[in-house]
Amino acid sequence: MIKENCKLAIISIKANKMRAFLTMLGIIIGVCAVIAIMTVGNSMTADVKKQLEGYGVQNITLYVSQIDWNEEISEADMENMLFKPDVLHKLSEKFGKRIAGISVEASVDGGKVIRDGKTANVNILGTSAGYYKANKVKLINGNSFNQYDYEQGNNVAIVSDKFIEQLYGSEYKPENLLGKEIEINSMEEYINVTVVGIYHYEAAGQRGGSKNITTNVYIPLKAAWNITHNKDIMECVVVAAEGENATVLSEDIKLYLTDAMATQLGDKFMIDAYSNQSMIEENTKTMNQMTMAISMIAAIALIVGGIGVMNIMTVSITERTREIGTRKALGAPDSMIMLQFISEAIIICLIGGVIGIVLGLVLGNVAVHFMGYTPHISFASIYMSVGFSMAIGVFFGYSPAKHAAKMNPIDALRYE
Amino acid sequence: MSSDILLQARGIRKSYYVGTPNELEILHGIDLDIKRGEFVSIVGQSGSGKSTLMNILGILDRQTAGEYILDGVDISKAPNKSLSYLRNKHIGFVFQTYNLIARTDAVSNVEMPMLYAGIPEKKRRQRAEELLEMVGMAERMHHTPDELSGGQKQRVAIARAMANNPDIILADEPTGALDSKTGRLVMDIFHELHEKQGKTIVLITHSNELAAETPRIITISDGNIISEKTNGGKGVA
Ligand SMILES: Nc1ncnc2c1ncn2[C@@H]1O[C@H](COP(=O)(O)OP(=O)(O)OP(=O)(O)O)[C@@H](O)[C@H]1O
Ligand SMILES: [Mg+2]
Repeated sequence: MIKENCKLAIISIKANKMRAFLTMLGIIIGVCAVIAIMTVGNSMTADVKKQLEGYGVQNITLYVSQIDWNEEISEADMENMLFKPDVLHKLSEKFGKRIAGISVEASVDGGKVIRDGKTANVNILGTSAGYYKANKVKLINGNSFNQYDYEQGNNVAIVSDKFIEQLYGSEYKPENLLGKEIEINSMEEYINVTVVGIYHYEAAGQRGGSKNITTNVYIPLKAAWNITHNKDIMECVVVAAEGENATVLSEDIKLYLTDAMATQLGDKFMIDAYSNQSMIEENTKTMNQMTMAISMIAAIALIVGGIGVMNIMTVSITERTREIGTRKALGAPDSMIMLQFISEAIIICLIGGVIGIVLGLVLGNVAVHFMGYTPHISFASIYMSVGFSMAIGVFFGYSPAKHAAKMNPIDALRYE
Repeated sequence: MSSDILLQARGIRKSYYVGTPNELEILHGIDLDIKRGEFVSIVGQSGSGKSTLMNILGILDRQTAGEYILDGVDISKAPNKSLSYLRNKHIGFVFQTYNLIARTDAVSNVEMPMLYAGIPEKKRRQRAEELLEMVGMAERMHHTPDELSGGQKQRVAIARAMANNPDIILADEPTGALDSKTGRLVMDIFHELHEKQGKTIVLITHSNELAAETPRIITISDGNIISEKTNGGKGVA
């Protein structure tokens, strides 16, 4: 039955190709708009999400901020904006397994290492044990610092493979540098550190001249403090454990720290936290709102298209009154006549929908391409469009089809 | 004996309301019995109500008053919903203007009543091909109506009327739009259906010659049956 009705519908559409196409236009435009917008929206969301995920979704950055930004802060106040090591220690104990690590870093300064006339620019960074997880540093040779290194502030270092390549050339086996001492020239001072580990340098973002890349040299946090004589912790990053919702955890930590640091914060400061997770959520939310708003406009186009379908079905049925009469004379039940014309309406809408989807995908991908995102097709929107165009066919085809089904056979046969 | 009566009409009246209160009665109480296997022709002047009667017999229209029993079923009491089923099973129509479905080939046209009867595709196709062969249209099976002559169209229409092997074939001036030679061809098919397959046929015609070929002739004038004639033999021109 369905096959027969589809055949009939296609015959009828073929007989009036131009008319059918014009009728489909509304549907085509509506669906095309939805698909194009969804493709652009999805690609943007996916790209932003990927970018933020690169920085670690599980990272929660904590810092102390002023409640009233207009208020002057004194030298003593500045002191109150810092995290104390023991507070962070207690934090890590309190939250236990919910956090994978706490990352604190202390920037020493930039510097360079010179060997055989070759120079490698570096950035010396004091790190806590949690740093590597928070920043997705991948160790490829040697070890990370041990507890002893952290406690004593030993002059040990983890350098990048890029750094070694810059100094020793690409032939040199990186592991040969393990246990060797390097001399970093920083702030007109020489810092000697022993290489204990090598990590893989990952180019961040833009590809520039690969010659002058500055890579990080990591040393234990305490070692950095020893060099700079400054133990200020202005910011720390908590890495949420696997499976832990960073947004929820960040709220919990905020509450805990607000309490634990109450005397220090006073009524001037508060704990602030942000996580990439919450940024992703925020971003997805605005994106979805935008998509919804534009989809509403597309929905209006679809409804207008649907009315066009209804109009053309009414015309088509009037034209074929005698055919309907004949079919009834041959014994077609009302339900079959109804099915025939609803099928026709559905197929018109479906063809329009498919054309719209194809055009929308092309348009969306071209737009995404020019906006510089990676194309990301929204399959949900394709299924939705197919379903929606069929629904329009049923909805707007129903009334004309009902009219056809209810025709009196003899009147239909005599119609001129 | 009564089971032999296929069609029984009693006091059939039909009125049209051309704007109240101007009631216009077209049929003034028709009584008619047709037995199984009869070949009846109905003649009468234009506007006498032949088609009106035929449409009532074919359940395309409902009488204003009177009783109509087809194959034991009281049509006047049958619910509207069952009428399409009754038409599909019991009646085969042949129209003056053929009324083939446009853009649909001959085979598919013949299949149509079987499609509505829910007969599976293969069986439908096979029977449609047989029927088209019977009316001599085997070579034109896949031609659409606009590729067929009037006589060819009418032969397809007869094949279509036969599709569900109906109890009765109702033909309203089937040769009215054809030249006499083609009309002859169509008429021969009716004779064949009547003689070889024992089909009950009711034929409306303006041609006295064609009417004279049928065993029974009913004359209608102004909505009344005014005479009935029975031919002993079948006159063949
Ligand atoms: N829907 C209608 N409304 C009003 N009058 C009608 C209607 N249908 C038919 N009539 C009238 O009924 C009368 C009988 O019409 P009918 O078609 O039965 O005649 P007929 O005997 O078949 O004539 P012909 O030989 O020309 O086909 C005509 O006078 C016609 O005007
Ligand atoms: Mg007539």
